[in-house]
Amino acid sequence: MKTTNKLYLLALAFLALSFSGCDSEDPVPENDGELITDVTLIFQELDANASPVGDPMSFKASDPEGIETGQTPTVETVKLKKGSKYRMNISVTNAIENEDITAEILEESDEHQFYFLGTAFIGDSSPLTYTYDDPSGELIGVRGTVVSAANPSTNNAQIRVVLRHDLDKNYPGADNPNFADFASAGGESDLDITFPVVIE
Amino acid sequence: MTSAWITSYFGLNQDVTFYPTSILPITHLCNLVSYILVYTKKYLYFCCVKLKTSLLLISLVLLFCNQVKAQNCSIVIRGKVIHLENNEPIEAAYVWIEEAKQGAVSDQNGNFIVKNLCKGTYTITIQFLGHKTTSDTIILENSPFTKTYRLEDESLNLSGVEIHGHRDAVQTTTSVSALYGENLLESRGENLGESLKRISGVSTFSTGNNISKPVIHGMHSNRIMIMNNGIRLEGQQWGAEHAPEIDPFLADEITVVKGAETVRYGPEAMGGVILVNPAPLPTKKESKTNINLVGGTNGRMGNIAAAHVGGSERIKGLGYRIQASAKRAGNIKSPDYYQRNTGMSEINFSGSLGYSAKKIGMEAYYSLFNTELGILQESHTGNLSDLEAIIANGRPFTDGEFTYGIINPKQRVVHHLAKIKSHYHISENWKLNFQYGFQLNNRQEYDKRRGDLNERPSLDLELFTNTLDLYVNHTHKNEFSGTWGLNLIQQANNNVPGTGVTPLIPNYDMINAGVYLMEKYSKGPLEVEAGIRYDYRSVQTARYINSELRSSDLDYQNLSAFLGGLYHINADWTFSSNLGSAWRPPNVNELFSEGLHHGAAAVEIGDPDLKSEKSFKWINELQFDGKRSHLEITAYLNPIQDYIYLNPTGEVYVSLRGTFNVYEYLQANALFYGIDVAGSYEFTDRLNGYVKGSIVHAKNTNEHSYLPFIPSNRMDWGLSYDFSKVTDSRTNKVTLSNILVAEQKRDPDFDLAPPPPAYALFNIAYQKQFYIGNENKLNLGFQVQNVFNTSYKDYMNRFRYFTYDMGRNILLKINYEF
Repeated sequence: MKTTNKLYLLALAFLALSFSGCDSEDPVPENDGELITDVTLIFQELDANASPVGDPMSFKASDPEGIETGQTPTVETVKLKKGSKYRMNISVTNAIENEDITAEILEESDEHQFYFLGTAFIGDSSPLTYTYDDPSGELIGVRGTVVSAANPSTNNAQIRVVLRHDLDKNYPGADNPNFADFASAGGESDLDITFPVVIE
Repeated sequence: MTSAWITSYFGLNQDVTFYPTSILPITHLCNLVSYILVYTKKYLYFCCVKLKTSLLLISLVLLFCNQVKAQNCSIVIRGKVIHLENNEPIEAAYVWIEEAKQGAVSDQNGNFIVKNLCKGTYTITIQFLGHKTTSDTIILENSPFTKTYRLEDESLNLSGVEIHGHRDAVQTTTSVSALYGENLLESRGENLGESLKRISGVSTFSTGNNISKPVIHGMHSNRIMIMNNGIRLEGQQWGAEHAPEIDPFLADEITVVKGAETVRYGPEAMGGVILVNPAPLPTKKESKTNINLVGGTNGRMGNIAAAHVGGSERIKGLGYRIQASAKRAGNIKSPDYYQRNTGMSEINFSGSLGYSAKKIGMEAYYSLFNTELGILQESHTGNLSDLEAIIANGRPFTDGEFTYGIINPKQRVVHHLAKIKSHYHISENWKLNFQYGFQLNNRQEYDKRRGDLNERPSLDLELFTNTLDLYVNHTHKNEFSGTWGLNLIQQANNNVPGTGVTPLIPNYDMINAGVYLMEKYSKGPLEVEAGIRYDYRSVQTARYINSELRSSDLDYQNLSAFLGGLYHINADWTFSSNLGSAWRPPNVNELFSEGLHHGAAAVEIGDPDLKSEKSFKWINELQFDGKRSHLEITAYLNPIQDYIYLNPTGEVYVSLRGTFNVYEYLQANALFYGIDVAGSYEFTDRLNGYVKGSIVHAKNTNEHSYLPFIPSNRMDWGLSYDFSKVTDSRTNKVTLSNILVAEQKRDPDFDLAPPPPAYALFNIAYQKQFYIGNENKLNLGFQVQNVFNTSYKDYMNRFRYFTYDMGRNILLKINYEF
């Protein structure tokens, strides 16, 4: 009997220990690594010899809090000249972490691709045309060429930029930068922003 | 209304008293039956079942009464054998009627039946190993005889004799169904949720084919409780895609309690309780090994499990068990394509050591559950337009191919559970019990991300739970027995830093203390039980959102109670009714969710001001056990006050990533009600038929709308043919079954996609048992599920938005016991 009593005491002591020694830890703030806060379209006008003309122009869409909650992102209006050729670079960053996400996209170039949709690119009389011109030769869309029509039917249009992740790049039609049916190539959207554009 | 019942009672009374006075006892009984059935009718009436059903039942009873009158030698003895010390049923007790030279063996629930006896005086002898033999002299008149026998443990008085193993059986007057023996053997290789679908009234809420949560009468997750060998399983059970962390192979029996059992098991046992119990440990020299091998064509699944039980010869009362299982499966095939990234792997282990002596018993138990699950690639959508595109397509855009590889998104879950349990017999009638359990749940969820982030989980939670139970049981030779106890739960939840994602739920500490008291009165065929419980819960939470610390301190308390009764109307009929109150404090996710749910392209917002849910569940069950037929009808009514649900606000949230639906947690009053039916009939000694079905209604009574993800009407029926001779106990049978699932017509106002159409599946199973040597048993099973490779979607599968369900699956199951 005495041993049993001791056993119970031991068990109780063990319990007291485990109950007191198991509190939750203090929370640690997390910096959202996956977050995209800024997407910038950088247009550099080119002449007939593909040499730069003047200074590059930047148009930015930003959402300082990222995706979780908060306000609607602010998107600048893209302003382009008609009958011109531009080199368009896209820069994607996480301002909270001070992280260059463009570099990450290029590292995983086989899994990412930008598509350019909206009234600016889609339709018979769309004012802009896009061609992939990535330095690696692979179709990613971090760099490309945009040509504006000499006599656009409208001077107000929309550029919808979609970044697809984990898509099947060999899917028929996936090599078209204006592939409206991008969803059928699989994958998911990392970005889906619409910039207003004015062509003067 | 009342007068109508009285009239009908007297009406029946007149019918019955038409019989000659010599059979007065039967008349009384039949009166009682009719009377009770009239009341049943009242219950059923409330449960909105057509009056016709109850009229049919009454005519059945009257038919039965006529039969009794007609035959002289058709008296039945129906009994129950239980342990005196703890009221646990005794299985395999031997019952002998000396004068009639007839015997019976008690079943899993301690029940036995001896039929076709003539009028006269009989001596019943009941024997069970390690227990005093009980003899009883009874006089059989014309009426069936019912009695509960309590066997006394010999070890209490004599030292050195056999000691029996302990297992806590469910002693409740509410509706209970169990999966064991042959049925459990047939379910081997399936996860817990899938296995439990074999019980009527239980379905699953699933996320693809690997994650399925059991649903009892329309409730799941935090509204039901799962017990792993007596300890309430504490994982992150709030999540729809968080499957119970339990290995079905450790169970020797899986029991489902369908009533509200908050008093006995604590808060949250609102819709029911699932008990996963291993067999009791041996207390004498014994050595048994059980090996299971399961292979399936779909997903090229392989599953191996082994268990070894042993009892010590040198130390009396010392026994142990070790058990392990491993499972591996690759991509699941829908009829037309492979579902990408739907493989899984699982490795589980459990061990226990027990010692039983004269006055004391101890058990130590440990179980480890370890799984890695792939989540269908296409279910991880970037934004609302992605989601809409795949819903419109109805299936993944790519065909996929077979692989065992698992990539992101995926889940890794490790669950440790350790417990010690002990009891001490204070006296012959009083027993003191102590149980302590420790659990550590680590859940890691990996999302499809960029670069090195793919190596880091997006959700990494560590949940520590301590549970302590201290209770006394008392059993007396007179009719009272009961349990008084204290229950403590302490929990600490941590977000493991480094995920690079604002945590979905905060870090928290929770303490729940409960005191309860239950008493049961049993006399002859009647058992009445009542209980009351008080709980206090305190929760402290803390989390950083955008570098801002948010914390809160919340308290909840509640009183719950139940009242239940069970009546053995006669040898064939049993009726039980149970009314229980239950409560559930809001869960941390309901209070504090704030973030994106990728699978639903939704932003979910919690509400820290939510109140506790309070409910009543009234459940009635009528059981019939005839010579050739068996019938079980369960009807329930379950109103819930302040039911917490996720409501689509109709707003969308716009971000750089696209748009998302916004959902918020709200409260409203809800009403659940429904009926389960299970029956079987032996057409001949070889041909047997069964049918199971359930209907659940769940309404938001404030909005007059239906609640989402409630199982649609379903039915499962089949025929089996037994090739073996009646005298041969070895199984050798083939079963053809058909599962019919209706379209959910009671769907909510908002859903991402309409409910899928109705479907029918056909299955074939063949089971054969061989004896090898003296005691070794080999069970072979061959099954074809979804024989016609039907393309279907189930309303209760959250992945119905993205894909069709699993296609044909051919399984081979080998079980060897030696």
